[in-house]
Amino acid sequence: MGSSSGDLRYELSQNAYIKLVLHSLNHPTSAVNGVLIGRISPSNDAVLIDDAVPLFHSHLGLLPQLEISLMLIEEYFSAKGLNIVGYFHANERSDDYELGGVAKNIGDHICRYFPQAAILLLDNKKLEALKKSKDRSAVTQLYVRDASKNWKLVHSEGNNRFSLREPSANLMLLDYIASEKWQGIVDFDDHLDDISKDWLNPGLFN
Amino acid sequence: GRLEALLLEAKGSWELAEKAYSSLLEDNPLDQTIHKRRVAMAKAQGNIPGAIEWLNKYLEIFMADHDAWRELGEIYVSLQMYKQAAFCYEELILSQPTVPLYHLAYADVLYTLGGLENLQTAKKYYTSTIDLTGGKNTRALFGVCLCTSAIAQITKGKSKEEKEGAQVQSLAAKVLEKDYKQRAPDKLPQLTTALKSLTLSS
Repeated sequence: MGSSSGDLRYELSQNAYIKLVLHSLNHPTSAVNGVLIGRISPSNDAVLIDDAVPLFHSHLGLLPQLEISLMLIEEYFSAKGLNIVGYFHANERSDDYELGGVAKNIGDHICRYFPQAAILLLDNKKLEALKKSKDRSAVTQLYVRDASKNWKLVHSEGNNRFSLREPSANLMLLDYIASEKWQGIVDFDDHLDDISKDWLNPGLFN
Repeated sequence: GRLEALLLEAKGSWELAEKAYSSLLEDNPLDQTIHKRRVAMAKAQGNIPGAIEWLNKYLEIFMADHDAWRELGEIYVSLQMYKQAAFCYEELILSQPTVPLYHLAYADVLYTLGGLENLQTAKKYYTSTIDLTGGKNTRALFGVCLCTSAIAQITKGKSKEEKEGAQVQSLAAKVLEKDYKQRAPDKLPQLTTALKSLTLSS
């Protein structure tokens, strides 16, 4: 079984992708994060990211809310045969491309339960450019851990290591941005402030 | 004058703006707005150490500015400098002891720092948050459960206060379950399992 992260492809579904980007747009002046939900492909050569749950937009570096959210989220999705397979992070400043300590620590934590976990970092320049370009590639950067457990940027140009499952994902994303769908996104912070708010965001893609 | 400096910052002429702000502050070190502009500009440029330095200088003069303490606490948390963050929240609790938000943030930071003493103190502050919010703060209720479990893992049944701790934890758990049943029933099964795992380990 288990290929090392050195061989695996990572495939991001439209729903997960759009949810995460919309979440970051909903909190443009804060850092935000989320978890990636998915599974290993039947052919054992890819991590399929089927869904995502937006986590927080404040105090990302604090443990209690992280631990609770991971417990509840893992519990919910394991009943459906899915795991937490990665982490998403958007930095506070739009020109900040560094994968910071908080992101790495959370990524490391997730790797303890899913060794091939990846981190996606929002690329703001690409997101901005999306409105003018016809780029079909994701507006996120992919990081995986190397053999020494350091997080390394994966260059996906030309080698297909990281792809969007649906080729029209960016078109959908632009559509959702235009109709301001980011306004209704519920994250775990919102849920903890008011538990009647559903972090599954069930109405988002109807 | 001031307007010119503000314009420089707005246009992104960082160096010139910084010079202008510094000279304005030399003439009038009590100009709160200009102090804050200097911090904001440092933050915007990604100069977080600079922002911290200026913010600390500001707080030496204006130590009653709660927003500034909160801002500093948040910056420290984002840099994982939890001890320094704790200090900020201690200042806030000292000056405004009945604001539950500060008790909660302090507890969160202490839990993140970890270690038996911090966990025990965190639990106290989660409890005070619950008191100050009439038992309604979901985060504090979860916090109590997390602390009790973490403390029990360290003391492993050697402490007398554990029995008392377990009582508080099960009370908090009951409140959470009741609340979820009423307002988020589809999320109740996961909550029950999570709480069970937290109480089992204590």
